[in-house]
Amino acid sequence: MKLYYFSEMPHHEFPDAEGEKYPSLRLEFPNRFFDRDKAAANYQRYLDEYEAADQAGFEGLMINEHHSTPSCVNVGVNMTAAILARITRRAKILLLGNILPVEDNPVRLSEQIAMADLISGGRVLSGFVRGIGVETWWSNTNPIHNRGRFEECHDLILKCWTEPGPFRWEGRHYHFRHVNPWCLPLQKPHPPIWTPGSASPETAVWAGRRGYTYVPFLVPFEIARELFDYYRQGAAEVGRTVTPENLGFLICSVTADTKEKALEAGRHFVWRMGPTLRGPSEFMAPVGMRSRAGSQFALRARPRALSSMSYDELLKNHFIIAGTPDEVADRFAFVQRELGIGHLLLEAQESRMDHATTMRSIELMGAKVVPAVATL
Amino acid sequence: MSAGRPREETITVGGVAIDAWVGGQGHPLLVLHGAGGNRGFTQWMQRVAERFTVWAPTHPGFGRSGDAEWMEGIDDLAQFHLWFIDAAGLGRPHLLGHSIGGWAAAEMAAMSPGAIDRLVLVAPAGLKPTQGEILDIFYIPPAQLLPLTVHDPKTVPEWDTLFGQAPTPEQLAAAERGREMTARLTWKPYMHNPRLARFLPRVTNPALIVWGREDRIVPVECGEQYRRLLPRATLSVLERCGHLPPIEQPEAFARLVIDFLEGETRR
Repeated sequence: MKLYYFSEMPHHEFPDAEGEKYPSLRLEFPNRFFDRDKAAANYQRYLDEYEAADQAGFEGLMINEHHSTPSCVNVGVNMTAAILARITRRAKILLLGNILPVEDNPVRLSEQIAMADLISGGRVLSGFVRGIGVETWWSNTNPIHNRGRFEECHDLILKCWTEPGPFRWEGRHYHFRHVNPWCLPLQKPHPPIWTPGSASPETAVWAGRRGYTYVPFLVPFEIARELFDYYRQGAAEVGRTVTPENLGFLICSVTADTKEKALEAGRHFVWRMGPTLRGPSEFMAPVGMRSRAGSQFALRARPRALSSMSYDELLKNHFIIAGTPDEVADRFAFVQRELGIGHLLLEAQESRMDHATTMRSIELMGAKVVPAVATL
Repeated sequence: MSAGRPREETITVGGVAIDAWVGGQGHPLLVLHGAGGNRGFTQWMQRVAERFTVWAPTHPGFGRSGDAEWMEGIDDLAQFHLWFIDAAGLGRPHLLGHSIGGWAAAEMAAMSPGAIDRLVLVAPAGLKPTQGEILDIFYIPPAQLLPLTVHDPKTVPEWDTLFGQAPTPEQLAAAERGREMTARLTWKPYMHNPRLARFLPRVTNPALIVWGREDRIVPVECGEQYRRLLPRATLSVLERCGHLPPIEQPEAFARLVIDFLEGETRR
């Protein structure tokens, strides 16, 4: 099983009491609490940590993108990919990913991902995501068209990468009369495609049909297994065999020299489970964004909100894994046995976890945990 | 009501089955509902049906009407209801629309002023306020939105009949479907058509605009804009009234509508 390092690049640089005055940290928490000097320093720090993760031996460096929220100030996944492409040497760069439905120009997206792939020497893993409702509000994209735009944007990007230009694209959501991108990915026919999931059976089936790597985020094991079944259903429709290489899972994890230190550091993940997810359901899932089936599945997928769980419960349910290198390796092996996955994505820094703690965790993961789980 | 009980009809328009309430007697009056859906023959409609034949279709994507997922905006809904007038054989009906139905009615009048007789716009969306904003109805939970739609629920005679019961799962699903259709039609530009104002001066039909002084959804200032842009319009603003004049003040509202539709109008 391969391990991936991930930081949301949080901006937890304000008094929590201020954040609590608003219905949500997303969309509504005023950006006068954005600290420009600290943000400037943090970006340097987060990039240093990615560089260290590359050197430590992680299989990949995962990056993502959110908007209008202090929980993640990585506001441009392709921009970060381009930086990592240049400052790292060996790890895969996992963009998980570009938020296709809010994108107005899939051709430009195809070019940007291709450029990052070229600069990195073919290390890009190109994730495509539907995004959460917050990004729909941020971009003012009609949530009714979320799935339609996701699929059409994907189709156009793939066409840019695999079919010679110039050509014309006249779809429902995208219209380009002269498509001829002079930037194509180094990997042929194109970078591997990944897609995450948390609640949508349709996305799992869609990914299964295409053989994309499918990664549920922070769901209970039984829900992940159910989503993997939908994935297998899609794969079976086209006669595709599913292997652990097709399946991944995302959790939060930190290690340290002692169990006590790791458990103390692991508390920083509680912020992303609770305060950063607080808010009206309309923010996360505006009207029409989910199908009826998706909405019903979402209700079952989260019988209890992550925000209602104590730190101990989050540990017990493996949403967070914190311990010595031996302990986390043991727990990762357990997750692997439970889910049969080939990729484990580690959200490995959060909230106010400091640089020294993060760096030591990266170092220990690379030295002890990566090799320990490599043969699983 | 002398004309007997209203009946429910299905009229197919462009392949979409449209559910419509029909009742009353006299010249036809086409009534287009708002984002809250078709509430049927409520009190004001019963009163108006004593003098006019009320046709109250349910928009595609709402209630028992079929889907029209190909629609992109209110102009599509307007074209569709112009077709409905033909399909239902209404001749040249009076047209009354409320909220997004009022916006659709204004678009219909601008597209085809000869297709309708007199025009009643009740707190229509469609124009961008010059001061304030149209409330983002998708940004707040439906349960919080409902009380904002009226000035004071306690003064609404049919409040308990319409909203007193906890909705069934089927009603919730139907409401969600209606919200989805509203989002489909109004998302961007939000609740207005930047070009509508250019076309409204074409509408020389007698027009009545009704607004609640305390409307918290569409600012009453938009009523002033409609009055200025429509050459033969009067604006009637009801005091202690929010966004739902037809159910907040059913008797006064019905009186206004009847008097306007039956009365002489200024040239």
